Amino acid sequence: MYELFFRKFNEKVPLTHEEEEMIKTYLTPKKLRRKQYLLQEGDVCKSIAFVEKGALREYSIAENGNEQIIQFAIEGWTISDLYSFLTGEPATYNIDAVEDSELVLLSKSAHEELLRKLPKYETYLRLQVTGAYLALQKRLTSVNTLSPEERYANFTQLYPELVQRFPQHMIASHMGLTPETLSRARRKIKSK
Amino acid sequence: MQTRQTIAIIGATGNMGSAISKSLAKGNYRLLLFGKDESKLKKLELTILRLHPDADVAPITCSYTASWEADIIISAIPYPAEKEVADRIKEVANQKIVISIANPLNDTFDGLVTPPGSSAAEELQKLLPHSKVIKAFNTIFAADFPKTVPAATHTGSFIAGNDPEALEIVSELVNTAGFYPIIAGDLSASRILENMQLIKILQLNK
Repeated sequence: MYELFFRKFNEKVPLTHEEEEMIKTYLTPKKLRRKQYLLQEGDVCKSIAFVEKGALREYSIAENGNEQIIQFAIEGWTISDLYSFLTGEPATYNIDAVEDSELVLLSKSAHEELLRKLPKYETYLRLQVTGAYLALQKRLTSVNTLSPEERYANFTQLYPELVQRFPQHMIASHMGLTPETLSRARRKIKSK
Repeated sequence: MQTRQTIAIIGATGNMGSAISKSLAKGNYRLLLFGKDESKLKKLELTILRLHPDADVAPITCSYTASWEADIIISAIPYPAEKEVADRIKEVANQKIVISIANPLNDTFDGLVTPPGSSAAEELQKLLPHSKVIKAFNTIFAADFPKTVPAATHTGSFIAGNDPEALEIVSELVNTAGFYPIIAGDLSASRILENMQLIKILQLNK
C-alpha cells in the first residue's frame, strides 16, 4: 500500500523501521477511479498526493473553456495545488485521475505534525520541492525558448512514459500547443 | 465544497444504513453501499435512483475496497459487529473520518453493554486509533429522517468528536441529511448521547 512511497522516501532520506511505522500512522490511503476529482478549483487543497499506482493530471480552465495542463503525475510522483495547500486559499487548479489510481495522501495537519516531529520529513520535503522547482524552471525555459518540435522532442526524451500514458491532446495542452501544432511537430520529427 | 467526497456506508441495507444512504443521495457525494446481501443492495440502489435520478451511488461487496475509496466511512452496523469490521478496514481507514452511529444496547434493550467510562464511539476509536471517529446519527431513529426533499422538518442531531475539521465536515453531512447539527463536545460526550438514546428507547418500550 505504501511500498513505492517509502522506497522513494528512502532514496532521498533513509528511514529506520520505527520512523516508517510512525509516518504510516499519518498517511491516508485513497483509491480514485478514472475521471474522479481529487481536487476541484475553488476548494482548498487539503492534501499532497503521492501516486502509488495510476495517472493524474492537474489543470486550469481558461475563460474560453480550454484546459491548460500544468502537471502530470504517474507512479512515484507527487501532485497537489501547492499554493492552495500552503496558504489555505482556494485552489486555482483541478486535479483528476486519468487512470484508476491508488494514492497516499498527506493532509495538512499530518504534514505539519510530521514537520514538527521528524526532521527527516523536512529534508524529504525540501528535496521534493527543490526538484519540483527545477522541473518548473526547465519547463518555463522550454516554453519560452524552444520551437514546438524542439519542445516535443525534449519532452519525449525527458518523459517517454508520459507520452505513452497520456493522450496526445493532453500532452499538447501541457506543452502549450494546440493538438494540431503538436501533430505537425511530430510529423516533422518523424520525417527528419 | 466542490470536490465530490466519497462515502462508504458499511451496513447500508440496515434500517439506519438505508435511511442515511437515502438522505445523503441528494448531496454532492458518491455513495458506496456495502452490505452482505447483494439483492438488498441492488434494491436499495434502485430505490435511491428512483428518489434521486442524478445520485452517484454504487453497491459494493467488499468493505475493504469501499473504505479504501472513501473519504468518509459510516459504520451503520450493530455495536457487536463493529470489531470484526474495524479489524478488516483498519489499514484503509487510516486518518479518515469514521462515523459511529451505534448504540451499544444489551440483548433486552434496557441497558448499555459498554463500561461506564466509555462508549461505543470511544471503543471504535480504540479499534481504529489513527482514524477520526465522530459520533453522529445515534440520537435519531430511522423514521425521523425527512421524507421530503428539501427537508420539511429540521430536527437537531447531536455529534461529538475530537478533530475540529472532521466535526465541521460531519456537520455539513448531517445538514445534507436533513438535520440541524449540534456539536455536543469531544468524543467522550458520546457517553451522554448513547445514554440519551437509551432513555428514549426505554420510554418507547414502556
